[in-house]
Amino acid sequence: MLEAPFMLRALAELTLLALICGPVSVFVFARRLSFVADALTHTVFPGVVAGFLVSGADGVFGGALVAGLVTAVVLTLLTRGGLLSDDAATAVVLTALFSVGVALVSRRSSYTSDLTAFLFGRLLTVTPGQLVETAVLAVLTLTLVAIGARAWVFRAFDVGGAAAAGYRIARLDLALNLVVALVVVAAVRAVGTILVVALLIVPAAAARMLTDRLIAMAAAGTVLTLLCGYAGLWLSWTASVDHGVRLTSATAVVLALVLAYVLLLPVGLLRRRRPA
Amino acid sequence: MAEPPSAGPVPAQRHASQPAALRIEAAGFGYRGTTVLRDVELTVGEGQTLALVGPNGAGKSTLIKSVTGLADLVTGSVTVLGRALPKARGLAAYVPQAETLDPDFPVSAADVVLMGRYRRIGWWRPTGRADRDAALAALDRVGLADRARTRFGLLSGGQRQRVLVARAIAAEARLLLLDEPLNGVDATSQERILSALGELTATGTAVVISTHDLAVAARIADQVCVLNGRQWAAGAPREVLTPEVLREAYGNHAVDLPDGRTMLVET
Repeated sequence: MLEAPFMLRALAELTLLALICGPVSVFVFARRLSFVADALTHTVFPGVVAGFLVSGADGVFGGALVAGLVTAVVLTLLTRGGLLSDDAATAVVLTALFSVGVALVSRRSSYTSDLTAFLFGRLLTVTPGQLVETAVLAVLTLTLVAIGARAWVFRAFDVGGAAAAGYRIARLDLALNLVVALVVVAAVRAVGTILVVALLIVPAAAARMLTDRLIAMAAAGTVLTLLCGYAGLWLSWTASVDHGVRLTSATAVVLALVLAYVLLLPVGLLRRRRPA
Repeated sequence: MAEPPSAGPVPAQRHASQPAALRIEAAGFGYRGTTVLRDVELTVGEGQTLALVGPNGAGKSTLIKSVTGLADLVTGSVTVLGRALPKARGLAAYVPQAETLDPDFPVSAADVVLMGRYRRIGWWRPTGRADRDAALAALDRVGLADRARTRFGLLSGGQRQRVLVARAIAAEARLLLLDEPLNGVDATSQERILSALGELTATGTAVVISTHDLAVAARIADQVCVLNGRQWAAGAPREVLTPEVLREAYGNHAVDLPDGRTMLVET
């Protein structure tokens, strides 16, 4: 399978995504930001489409980046100002911008194939240039995580304690939303706007079944994503080449991740029943 | 309601040349511009303990949260160790009620106490041996050194509260703000917490603690402040914790007992 250069590039892309999704998913989990992460994946969608309409495939990255950063700021401001509850604000922004994206893409004659690519990604057509862009985003994301990790953990556990210690809560929230947006931008071309949310939620949720420690969760989430990435690619390859069954790679990767979560559920339940 | 019987006497400070640990002047506190507590006038010197008492919704938590930055100072001024809000944020350590925190959060007792060191550690520096030792020493002071690796959520309610006090000890702040830390806490944990607070005040740390337990307030506080939407009284416990003051502040929730004491009935 890995003799094919495009499969190697897909695996390299998934490795980079695993390195950032493992740690970042821990903060999404700890701050209970699953819905915000889901919203960001949807709000990046119009940016992806707009970028594509303006500059073709090369414009997708820039469009996603602008949309992701803008919506991270908007979501933070809306929820902070108390204008709306967290859930309501997130839902409003999510549905509004996703609709804009669908409206934009529906103007294309190749509506169906474009929409499919945007929603479910094109993991096997990752180019060396895209790999470099993902690597740059990965370095930036991991640097921000290294700087902010302790403060985000404190804020997630006890917002009052963190505020009393002098942390600016709004800035911490904005920084984390921006990091989540960066991960979405890094992953969106490979796995699509719909499936990218799985990479932000499932690694930590599955790792939580194995450990009670946040650092171990980040490590386990990274390894799980990597293993499931490889398994998903193999599954997709085998299904297509050996059995003639069409299974998109990104979908197979996400299915492998979800399967890992389901298989680890009993482990988590057993650990919880064990006396302290 | 009648006017407060006293406007808040200011106790003598331990060192006249040093700024008060906490000074609140003509202050109103609230959320998003809405005032829920007004007319607060208090000074807490170094090494002193201030107890905030009052019925549910009186504004005790709001006052404490305003100093931490989670609620708003609407009018007046608040200074912590000589620095005015909002610049003073970060100078005090906060101890919330343990039951308000997520018991499923994946952190150990030692992890929680280490949070008290985070501002000292900074953004870049890795956690060092000195910080870990300080966290363990703080846990030892509340009698939980042997539970350092236990997940926070697996501890009893009283033990969790002690861990949070240990976090404040590890922070080495000169002002501690404790929001009803004794609610639902077992007797052993209560004594451990009060003992730790006593040790801290002996070294000059000021303590502000909100509580429903008037006996505890009378026992540990240098001054007691009675709140209910505004400051009703402040001063030495025996001057403030009188049936007259409590009836005025608590309204129908105060019941006179045959022995002359006043019992507070929460509704």
